[in-house]
Amino acid sequence: MIRTGRAPASRSGRRRAGHPSKPALFLMLGLLASASMPLAAQAQGTGPNPLCAACHNPDGNSTIPENPKLAGLDAEYIAKQLADFRKHKRVSETMGPMAGQITEADIDVLAAYYSEQKPTPGVVTDPKLAAQGQVIYDEGIVGSAVPACSGCHNEDGSGTAKYPRLAGQHTAYMVQQMKNFKNGVRNNDIREVMSAVAKRMTEQEMKAVAEYIAGLKGGNP
Amino acid sequence: MRSMLIVALALLPVCAALADAPDTAASPRGIGAKDYVWNRMTPEQVEVLRKTGDAARGREAFRGCRGCHRSDGFGRVDGIYPKLTGQHAAVIIKQVTDIRAGVRINPKMEPFSSDHAVSPQEIADIAAFLAAETTIKENGKGPGDQVRVGEQIYTQRGCFKCHGRRGEGNEEKMYPAVAAQHYSYLLREMQLIKLEARGNSHPDMVTVLRDFSTADLEAVADYLSRMPDHRQARAPEGGK
Ligand code: HEC
Ligand code: HEC
Ligand code: HEC
Ligand code: HEC
Repeated sequence: MIRTGRAPASRSGRRRAGHPSKPALFLMLGLLASASMPLAAQAQGTGPNPLCAACHNPDGNSTIPENPKLAGLDAEYIAKQLADFRKHKRVSETMGPMAGQITEADIDVLAAYYSEQKPTPGVVTDPKLAAQGQVIYDEGIVGSAVPACSGCHNEDGSGTAKYPRLAGQHTAYMVQQMKNFKNGVRNNDIREVMSAVAKRMTEQEMKAVAEYIAGLKGGNP
Repeated sequence: MRSMLIVALALLPVCAALADAPDTAASPRGIGAKDYVWNRMTPEQVEVLRKTGDAARGREAFRGCRGCHRSDGFGRVDGIYPKLTGQHAAVIIKQVTDIRAGVRINPKMEPFSSDHAVSPQEIADIAAFLAAETTIKENGKGPGDQVRVGEQIYTQRGCFKCHGRRGEGNEEKMYPAVAAQHYSYLLREMQLIKLEARGNSHPDMVTVLRDFSTADLEAVADYLSRMPDHRQARAPEGGK
């Protein structure tokens, strides 16, 4: 079917930055057009999308720590991220080209599909670190004026359309995103508030809070 | 405007490093500046005051504030973040728009309350939401041994003329309610006001506070923090 080019998520295997070259793009589009079923149709209802499944798993519960779990994220949030990747407002060597391979019409279908999948629990490997992270999550860090994460993302990490679900997400992915917010690599957050939060945090604090979030259930028993 | 922003940003790390020591640099647009006029309604303040706030929308907009002021707007009893519930809607609006205009200095809050983060309509909505929150919780109180002294100072030095005998403030005149606010916040604000470092302050208040000793300020903060919340039953005696 569609050639996904299954890019491994390991750092060494990451794709070259930027967008696919012109001929490559034509090739991809050609492949898409000639596929018997349009992408949107495949994603509709039952069908997990094979292109996305290569990295995010069929039900959106990626098992690769660098690739985010999509299952249970709010549909509006997913749609915004996909639109931002397509407009290069959110930049990623790995995910950017993937978002370029879908159409505007695919976005809503994919977003609805992943938002309806049941997220798997996250993995906590260091309970002591998680306990430090809980204080940050629920109380913030008063010395450096970091607001409590629970204020925006909810106490159980279930999130909203504007403030994404975090519960059970991979720690490696979350720490990377916080670093990206801090150094400006990711700056597509509405109202720049997440960047303001991350700019006040050390990497150690990010790791601790991510460890705690991985253990949150987010409304999932 | 631009230079204000740079100043505010430059202050940020200093403030973060000092944790809770009040930042005593004066605001270039606040009291002490040549052309400072108390409550010179900024166009934005006028705009927000004219809007009708919606409490339900305000609850959602307040999400971005909850990380510090907590979900019920009660702040922290250690006074690092003030209690906002029980404050008059017009005062909330004045303080937020003053902070946005760079008149009141508040680098900790600035990225979460400036115009890219909150719209004028949302400020009105938040004020309506806070006004509708009627739960009263135990606030952070002073040691309790200076209440009498504090009461004397508060009365004799005429603080009640603006802030009211019950610490209820005055919504119409935009004088804040000060009763049952967290002790450490009250103390910090009076120190900042005295040093002309809060940015926005009524000049008449600064004139009175200028000769207050630390002990005086502590006594007044003790007294105010131990007043009943002005929304509660009126004080048994005294009153107006
Ligand atoms: C080659 C691997 C790969 C493929 C294929 C892939 N993704 Fe991704 N995806 C990633 C990575 C890595 C990220 C994290 C990007 C970053 O660092 O900002 C990501 C991020 C995302 C996000 C943002 C999630 C969040 O929590 O913010 C969404 C939504 C998403 N992908 C959807 C999709 C969809 C839909 C497809 C199929 C069209 C797809 N991905 C295909 C690797 C991939
Ligand atoms: C003032 C509100 C606010 C607070 C407080 C806040 N966040 Fe966020 N957070 C956001 C917004 C907004 C986004 C991104 C939305 C977007 O990209 O559109 C976000 C995104 C994130 C992401 C990326 C999620 C993903 O799937 O890609 C992580 C991780 C995150 N926040 C962690 C935290 C942590 C940890 C804290 C506490 C230290 C915190 N946030 C506090 C508003 C907030
Ligand atoms: C990062 C923490 C933080 C966030 C987020 C935050 N604030 Fe504040 N806020 C503060 C601090 C600290 C003060 C007290 C400043 C001082 O000591 O002068 C304050 C003071 C205030 C005051 C003045 C109270 C008074 O009695 O004069 C108002 C009103 C206010 N905040 C409203 C808001 C609103 C509305 C939001 C959300 C849009 C918000 N704050 C978000 C930290 C925060
Ligand atoms: C002329 C009226 C007036 C008088 C008199 C006055 N104040 Fe104030 N006070 C204000 C105003 C107005 C503010 C808010 C600052 C602003 O918006 O400019 C304020 C703020 C405060 C605050 C901070 C409240 C908060 O929520 O941030 C405290 C505490 C305070 N005053 C105590 C006193 C004390 C103690 C006295 C007597 C020594 C006093 N004030 C006298 C008008 C007055």
